[in-house]
Amino acid sequence: MTEVSASSHPLYPVQGAGLARYRSQLTTLGVFVFLGLLPWLPILGWTDIFDSGNNFGRGNLAFVFAWATAGVGFNLLVGYSGTLGLAVAGLFAIGAYGTAILSAPSGLREALVGYDWPFFVALPVVCVAAAIIGVAIGFPAARLKGFFLAIATLALGELIVKIISLDDKVWSGLKTNGGTGKQVPQFAIPGLDRVLSYYVLSLGALFVVMVAYTVLTNRRMGRTLKAVRDIDIATGPIGISSTYYKLVAFGLSAFSAALGGAMWAQNTSFAQPATFKTGMLVFLLVVLIAGGVSHKWGPLIGALFFVFMRQHLQDTRKLLFLILGISLILSILILPSGIAALPERLRDSRWVKDLQRRLQMLTDFSS
Amino acid sequence: MSISTPVGTVAVDTASVLQIDDLHVAFGGNQVLQGIDLQFVPGFNGLIGPNGAGKTTVFNVVSGYVRRNEGTIRLQGEDLSGLSRTQRVKAGIGRTFQSPRLILDATVMENTLLGRHHLFRWGHFAELLFWPPQIREETEARRICMSMLDRFGLAEVAHEEAGALSLGSQKLVEVARALVADPTVVLLDEPAAGLGADDVTVLLRGLREIVAESDLCVVIIEHDLQLVTSLCPKISVLHFGEIISEGSPEHVTTDPVVIEAYLGHGFEAEEGGEIHEVESPLSEHHHIDHVEEEGDLTEVWTEDDDPEQEELS
Repeated sequence: MTEVSASSHPLYPVQGAGLARYRSQLTTLGVFVFLGLLPWLPILGWTDIFDSGNNFGRGNLAFVFAWATAGVGFNLLVGYSGTLGLAVAGLFAIGAYGTAILSAPSGLREALVGYDWPFFVALPVVCVAAAIIGVAIGFPAARLKGFFLAIATLALGELIVKIISLDDKVWSGLKTNGGTGKQVPQFAIPGLDRVLSYYVLSLGALFVVMVAYTVLTNRRMGRTLKAVRDIDIATGPIGISSTYYKLVAFGLSAFSAALGGAMWAQNTSFAQPATFKTGMLVFLLVVLIAGGVSHKWGPLIGALFFVFMRQHLQDTRKLLFLILGISLILSILILPSGIAALPERLRDSRWVKDLQRRLQMLTDFSS
Repeated sequence: MSISTPVGTVAVDTASVLQIDDLHVAFGGNQVLQGIDLQFVPGFNGLIGPNGAGKTTVFNVVSGYVRRNEGTIRLQGEDLSGLSRTQRVKAGIGRTFQSPRLILDATVMENTLLGRHHLFRWGHFAELLFWPPQIREETEARRICMSMLDRFGLAEVAHEEAGALSLGSQKLVEVARALVADPTVVLLDEPAAGLGADDVTVLLRGLREIVAESDLCVVIIEHDLQLVTSLCPKISVLHFGEIISEGSPEHVTTDPVVIEAYLGHGFEAEEGGEIHEVESPLSEHHHIDHVEEEGDLTEVWTEDDDPEQEELS
């Protein structure tokens, strides 16, 4: 039955010839090379956009990359597999605390005591551990749907933060230093100053996660996750276990959330349980939804938007929440596919097509 | 041939690929299937019956959506009970749904490739590393899918989004997706419902080609009696959870029991299959009143009032 006849039809979508074939890959590479060189291009003053008078523009861009790293996995979970798992803030905390505790020297001060692991050993261990915890969270949650799933995972995420904040009172085995907060030992790349070092580190993390997740979502994994999202109950007779793939999505999103959290902690140099409450989840939702769900560049654009807003509204925190809330509602109402999809929306809009037609008429008329 | 089971020796019809014995299914107190026996052989098999007869339930039990209360289902002699839905796919059961279940923002090719998902040997990690055997495997799968799409006249639109296709083409994509999985038995739930005449022609030509080339067993639930009788050498009629008639199209369409099940009392078949109403005291029966109210005879069995189909159709 599966006899293969020679077919004249192309097996893969036709993507143009020569370099145009690799347009998407080249764009990605170009963006990352540009971002990598950004700190050394002071004449353009790019980083000043993220500077609100404290000369921390590069540091804020490093925050952008950390948020975007977590957002990429969140996007995979929500945008591709359609599973609204909201434990992401807790997993973000695991990344921050995990690297802090494992890489801290085994000194005496309680705020900085740890296991003295090299940073680049601690980082993957923490991310893999977070992925395992993510799968464990997904297990009970994979049987639920919609709001029930969201609430269950929200509670499990809060539970992680609760365990961190109560550790010194109950067990002290995790060395989280309880609600007071933990100092994060900072890893410096030799030859670079402190802020620049986080900048490069966070950008590297974003690059790795984004390339890996884009490769996966463009191939079999992507279509399988979409099948779980769109045909859910009917995936069984196709031979796809939707529970298995929901767990894979949970694991992958937890991995990137922890990586983002680790980068975030490197930059703040201090982690406190109160930071990882529901407020952080809202920030990540802003990153995801304002940026663009199931769009490759969504998390990065969303993170740029969020950090920019936060930087310029940081003195009035209440106003920040108000504006972020409004922007979340507006983006769901007006731009459900986020800022990242704006060019496509404009290209397809009647208004722009009409404008193009009129301009064409005008140029025809004048010539 | 006979095989031994814990409850004794059971005769197995060697010609039948899918054998259902004494299948009971109940939803709460509602007996949906009341001990049916069905044998499906290579080639086309028809499963017809009025709405609510339990046809889709048979498919749901075979593909693992609904638990059976009693009975056995054997695929080539192997008991399917205890297997999950995905394991049944690996065992060789494929199916489609009444309304197409496709990813609307993925291409037709990607949707079809989903059918081969369980046949991929290399995992996602190999995919991430651009492992050459994995890429070859993907290309090979695409080639098989493309030749299948070609059979159903969909090769031209293979790289277009499935959401842009008409309902008819979407149903064809779903049939193609079920067939690329190399099934032994494929269960088609109303494949021709909502299809235009052209699409039906393409569907039937494609199915006939495949059945002629292989010993695939196709089971079709279909309300279009003409289609079923022209396609299937053997038809089973299900009514209120029981098999009321079984056999060749001629036998089934002239069987008084079947006519009564579809149209109520007071109808009989003439020589040549034409059905007419007979004058009898029974025509006062409420079945007939219902038919007259509807005005159109076909209306009685094309309206969809099967409650359990709501979720899974």
